[in-house]
This record gives sequence, C-alpha cells and structure tokens, in this order.
Amino acid sequence: MEGFTNLIVRIGRGVGGVVGTLYQAGRDSVDTVIRNVIPFMAFISFIIGLILTTGIGNWIAKGLKGSASSLPGLLLISIVCAIPILSPLLGPGAVIAQIVGTLLGVEIGKGNIPAQYSLPALFAINPQVGCDFIPVGLALGEAEPETVEIGVPAVLFSRVITGPLSVVIAYFASFGLYHTSK
Amino acid sequence: MFLHQLITLSAVTVDKPTGVLGALATGAEDFIKVFNKGGTVLLSLMGGILPTLIVLLTAVNALVRIIGAERIENLGKAASRPGLQWYPVRYIILPFVAVFVLTNPMAYTMGRFLPERFKPAFYDSAVSFVHPILGIFPHANPGELFVYLGIATGIKELGFGLGDLAIRYLLVGLVVIFIRGIVTERITARMMAKAERSA
Repeated sequence: MEGFTNLIVRIGRGVGGVVGTLYQAGRDSVDTVIRNVIPFMAFISFIIGLILTTGIGNWIAKGLKGSASSLPGLLLISIVCAIPILSPLLGPGAVIAQIVGTLLGVEIGKGNIPAQYSLPALFAINPQVGCDFIPVGLALGEAEPETVEIGVPAVLFSRVITGPLSVVIAYFASFGLYHTSK
Repeated sequence: MFLHQLITLSAVTVDKPTGVLGALATGAEDFIKVFNKGGTVLLSLMGGILPTLIVLLTAVNALVRIIGAERIENLGKAASRPGLQWYPVRYIILPFVAVFVLTNPMAYTMGRFLPERFKPAFYDSAVSFVHPILGIFPHANPGELFVYLGIATGIKELGFGLGDLAIRYLLVGLVVIFIRGIVTERITARMMAKAERSA
C-alpha cells in the first residue's frame, strides 16, 4: 500500500513539475514578447508607414538600389560597418542593423532589389554585431582586464577582415536562392 | 426607401477643399495616412508572427529548462583543449549550443571555461551567431528579431517561402563564426605576444 502511495506522489510531483515548467516557460515568453518584441514592432511599423506613404521611400530606394543589388555595393556597406571607429557606434541593440534590414526588406518586397540578394545583405548590414558589447561580453566570460584590453581591438580588427569576407561567402551561398527559371 | 436614400447620400462626392484650410486639411490627411499605414503594418506583424513566436518561445524555453543550463558546462571544458580538432568545437558547436540554450547575452558566460587567449575569439564567434540563428530559433534573441525579420518580411511580400533563406542564413552563419573565431584567435595571439615583449 505504501509503495502505491509513493508511486502516486511521485507521478503527481512529476506532472506538477512538467506543468509548472511549461507554465513558467509561457510566462517568460509572453514577458519577452511584451517587453522586447512588440515595442520594436511598433517602432518598425512607424518607420515602414513613413517609408511607404511619403517620398522618403523613393529617395532611400535610389540610394540603396545601386549598392544593395550588387556584390561590390554590398561589400562597400560591410566595409563601412566594419570600420573600427564606426562599428562600436553602430552596434547598440542592433538598432541600425534592424532599421537598415527593414528598409532593405521593403525594397525587396517592392521588387527593387532581387530576392537572392537577401542572404548576402543579411551579412552586409551586420559586420558590427556585438562591437559595442565586447568589454561586457568578455567580463561575462570572466576575462582578466589584460584580456579585455587586447580583446577589444582584436575583435574590431578581425571584423575588418571577416565582415566583407562573410558577404562574399553569403553571396556564393545565395546561388539558387529564390531562382526563377524562365 | 430609407436604405436607398442612404446609398445615394453616400455616393455624393465633396469637392476637394481649397485655400489655406484646404492645404491644412490635405496635410492632416497625409499626416494620419502615415500612421494608418503603420497601424496596418503593425497589425499584420502582430497577427502573422506573434502567435507562432509565442508558442515557439514557450516550447523552446521549456526545453531549455528541462535540459538545464548546467549540463552544457562539460562542453565548455572540452572546447578549451588545444589542438586542431577542437577548433570546430570551440567556434561552431560551443557558440551554437551556448546561444541556443543560454541565449543573448548569457551565452557569453560560457567563455569562462576557456583559457584567456581564446576568450575574445569565443566572444566574437558567439556574438556573431545571435542573428543567423533567428530564422529558425527566434527565442535566442527576440529583442533583435528584425535584423532577420526586416529582410524576411520583404521575401514574404513576394510570396516566397522563408525556409530556404532561414536555413542558408543559419548555415552560412556557422561558417562565418568559425572563420571569425580562427581569425580573432590569431590576432589575439599576436597582440598578446607583442604586449608580453614590451612588458
């Protein structure tokens, strides 16, 4: 009889644990969505509204069309983003990358930029990722102050090489992406 | 009869307002048009992406809780070993698992298992993966979703599937973080040697 009771207790506890975990996971995800995702969606929606209804869109389209629909143009964007002085300034919250990404998305949607350029563009707008966060990121990894002192310029210099390189790799990886056989 | 009158009434068009007031009225309409369009976009984003995102986030969050963050510590220890065969572990597998399980920014804490000379390279590798992972696992960095989603929205607008772009973004991302890890490790090694000589 005691064994039976133990079994029931164990099952009850197990089920309670699983349900509790799932419930907490749901609470976490709704929390993230409300605090991080929806505010950004609101902000992005405003920018898209502004682009689509005013003349700004055409102006941006002209500027981006030339540079975002060719490999040299995308390389130029990535080189600018990777400049060691600019990259920490462009980094915070990935706001710049998100805005430029949205602008490019609008132009891709309108057909001004070919769809297969979406992949290299994702890398071209983002060589500065995390460049604002290097000391904090290294501190989270419990790095010594001497390591941080060397790590910051090391990562920034590395981006000058790997930023444009990532665009080239993505460019070659985009062959056959959204290919229309006509 | 009444209904008929209503229909004819609504069919009557008004002349476009002219003069100063007219210009103001047109201005007001253009002004509100921006926000109407923005509102439409917001609604389509919230209706199209949010429900899936919330359910996916819940499932992955639960999975991560069940796996437990402490279990990936052994992987961190393995990745600290010297030798060529540990490079892919250090700059592909460890960043992937760290970003997937711990998400941004806690993923960088995995650097504590590595010796000092690998830490900048690991950070570089891990931080460069917080966006390529978004196409398939948006839970890893939901606050910066639009790096991917901005461009993906354009693809969706054209009526194409997102799977191809998402998987290629992830795979190319893995290649890029591997290269980034190696390049940064080399640069760090050179700079550390230089600092030692001058000290």
